[in-house]
Amino acid sequence: MKSREDELKQIFYAEALDQFEELNRLFIVLEKNHDDKQSVNAIFRITHTLKANAAGMGFDGIATLSHLLEDIFSEIKNGRLSLNQDTFNDLFRANDKLGELIESVTSEKQVRYKGLVAKLKVILSEARGEERVQQASRDYVGEREAQETKETTETKKEENAAPKAEKQEAETANTQEKESTPEPVNKLIPKEPIIEEEAAVEETSAPKISFSDLIQVPVHKLDNLLNLVGELAIEKDRIAANHKGRGSEYARLYRVTSDLQYSVMGVRLVQVNVLFQKFHRIVRDVAALESKKVNLVLEGTDIEIDRNILQIISDSLIHLVRNAISHGIETTEERSKNSKPETGTLTLSASNEKDHVIINVIDDGKGIDAAAIRKKVIAKGLLPERSAMQTSDHDIVKFIFEPGFSSVEKVTQISGRGVGMDVVKKALDSIGGKIELSTKKGKGTTFRLLLPSSMAVKNALLFELNNAEFAIPLSFTEAVVSLYKKDVHKVSGGLVSSYLEQNMSVIFLKDIFNLKSLEDVREPHSLHKSFDQTKNDTKLNIIIVKFNERLVGLVVDKLLQQKEIIEKTLSQPVDNAYFISGATILGNGNVCLVLDIPGTLNLLFNPVKFGSYDYATI
Amino acid sequence: MTDNLLNKKELFLKKDKDNGQDEHVDRSQIVVFKLGGEEYAMMIDEIKEVVVTPNIAKIPLMPSYIKGVANVRGNILAVLDLEEKFGLIKEEKDKNKKNYILVVESDKYKMAILVQEVPNTLNILDSQIDNSPNVVIGEEGDKDFIKGLVRLENRLIILLDIFSIVSKDILQAGGEELSA
Repeated sequence: MKSREDELKQIFYAEALDQFEELNRLFIVLEKNHDDKQSVNAIFRITHTLKANAAGMGFDGIATLSHLLEDIFSEIKNGRLSLNQDTFNDLFRANDKLGELIESVTSEKQVRYKGLVAKLKVILSEARGEERVQQASRDYVGEREAQETKETTETKKEENAAPKAEKQEAETANTQEKESTPEPVNKLIPKEPIIEEEAAVEETSAPKISFSDLIQVPVHKLDNLLNLVGELAIEKDRIAANHKGRGSEYARLYRVTSDLQYSVMGVRLVQVNVLFQKFHRIVRDVAALESKKVNLVLEGTDIEIDRNILQIISDSLIHLVRNAISHGIETTEERSKNSKPETGTLTLSASNEKDHVIINVIDDGKGIDAAAIRKKVIAKGLLPERSAMQTSDHDIVKFIFEPGFSSVEKVTQISGRGVGMDVVKKALDSIGGKIELSTKKGKGTTFRLLLPSSMAVKNALLFELNNAEFAIPLSFTEAVVSLYKKDVHKVSGGLVSSYLEQNMSVIFLKDIFNLKSLEDVREPHSLHKSFDQTKNDTKLNIIIVKFNERLVGLVVDKLLQQKEIIEKTLSQPVDNAYFISGATILGNGNVCLVLDIPGTLNLLFNPVKFGSYDYATI
Repeated sequence: MTDNLLNKKELFLKKDKDNGQDEHVDRSQIVVFKLGGEEYAMMIDEIKEVVVTPNIAKIPLMPSYIKGVANVRGNILAVLDLEEKFGLIKEEKDKNKKNYILVVESDKYKMAILVQEVPNTLNILDSQIDNSPNVVIGEEGDKDFIKGLVRLENRLIILLDIFSIVSKDILQAGGEELSA
């Protein structure tokens, strides 16, 4: 547990140092030109982030100081405060102090900052004057109140802050004296002496250059490393294959390579917190815009996941959260009418399940109205009326993931940007993830995202087709069966068979791989070719894949083994090949293409493009 | 065997380079290979290595000149047959066994080109490159792929701009996709 805290601290420290350096740069720009709007905005932004991060970590000094700076720069930004040399000098000093405070995160050194805080508060209250504008309080309501009554409450607050600061910063029991006593004594601490004292200390502190123990590495370098490790793993397989029966000699090689592989993969893992943290702001903004009260709860923030996956799903998660607030959670009046707490709760939770990471987006809003969805499904012609009526509520709500379906008529600034849930689904498909949804009218909705924890390695089923090797990620495969020709029937332009009493379409992969162009799939009998050539007593090797609740049997030449593969994306000019999502290198050095199941099935069954394949939507 | 060849090749390239540096005239090194009986060339810095053609995995629904992808030192590269791209194969029997691939690399692309023999490097004077080949009558902008012509005694070498071939093709492929 301790190490986790240390790790977080290190991350915070590294980030804060970066931010501080950027602040330094901006302050120097601002020194030359007090009216530089861009710098003012940038400083405002950085201090805001720093404040939030520091508050989250419990570094009260940094939080207080950056919060004050943020407020002051907000006033400057809004033109209520203009910079003169005096104020600027104070701000510059505050920035230096911020640097010292950040430094103290690792050095455990006590840094005095209260005096400066007091000074900044004076600046701030002067700027705000008596006609304090009624603005929506952001966060830290308590603190804002503190500013209003200035010094008296200030001391109280400092005393509140002090014990916490002590806990966080003085872990190694630094016995240096502190200017504010930790005991809750309601004594007013004189302001001036502190400043003088601080000034004296300041003169002795020479500028220092510090380095954090955390290094930042560009992701592409890690990718490169992973590639090399992948090669090593392949080489290992090759050697082992050449020397069958002498396995023990290679046991060590085996162990080292796989340890190496997992270590490198481990380096790419980041905590979901990196992403979750950003939602405080998003939730606040969206809630403010919709004039709703929403409380964000984060759970399982220490779960680790591949950084690239986090990046890919970040937009989806934003979309889900926005949707949950603008469509899920009701207005305050509505909520109190239905005897729910006024403030809605949005929960982002992460957990591990086998090889997967599960992220839940849970709201306690009104739930999804299945009847409304059903109506819309019929209106959009996504299902014939009769079958829509027969579809259960549970199944009908899944239609929100269909392309072209957007459940709200009105386009709002937040959720209606022309992208629907189908985009979310696509993003998840692209990484072999899944999205599920459960909703209860009046109670709320849960979106469950099932994500692979690492994108680099996946389990795949290898097969042979046209004397070449291909792979299908196991996440899509349902079963492997052998059927005879008589089990497969021609239906319209395609082939249909059954698996466990369910109908499934059957496709000879050969037929689509040998096409000259995608258009040819519309040619009559283009998908019957191999079937017609097959003798009646031939056993067909079929891999059943499942995607979007649809079962499809893919006929292949030969089934090979199941294997862990490292999938690499294809680069230009073959990067957007049809049917193929990437490739991997096998132990024999050959390239093995990885089938893009979602892409392939979408291409084949997309009724917009291929009108004659309606049968597939049964 | 691959490594042997490669080492020889590298040595060869190195030696040529040294010769070139002795003189203070603007010189370029080009790598010359044959396509359909004509001599084509690329600048040496565009070519990363020459290797024996590995197994190529065919990708469905690709233009026929994109032969597929192959594993070159752990990199998965697209393999192109320029003879097919330029329509230099008239009959099936002309389809020679292409034993080597040239690995070419730019900031954006890394791919391989099939050739029959290990190519040669040539030291040429920059003044020998005719950069304005307005003598070329190209079909549908084919001449865009030609950087220049090099005349050496009785040889005519076509200097290729290999990366514009693919970038152009990607644009076209994109167009097709839209209309599909």
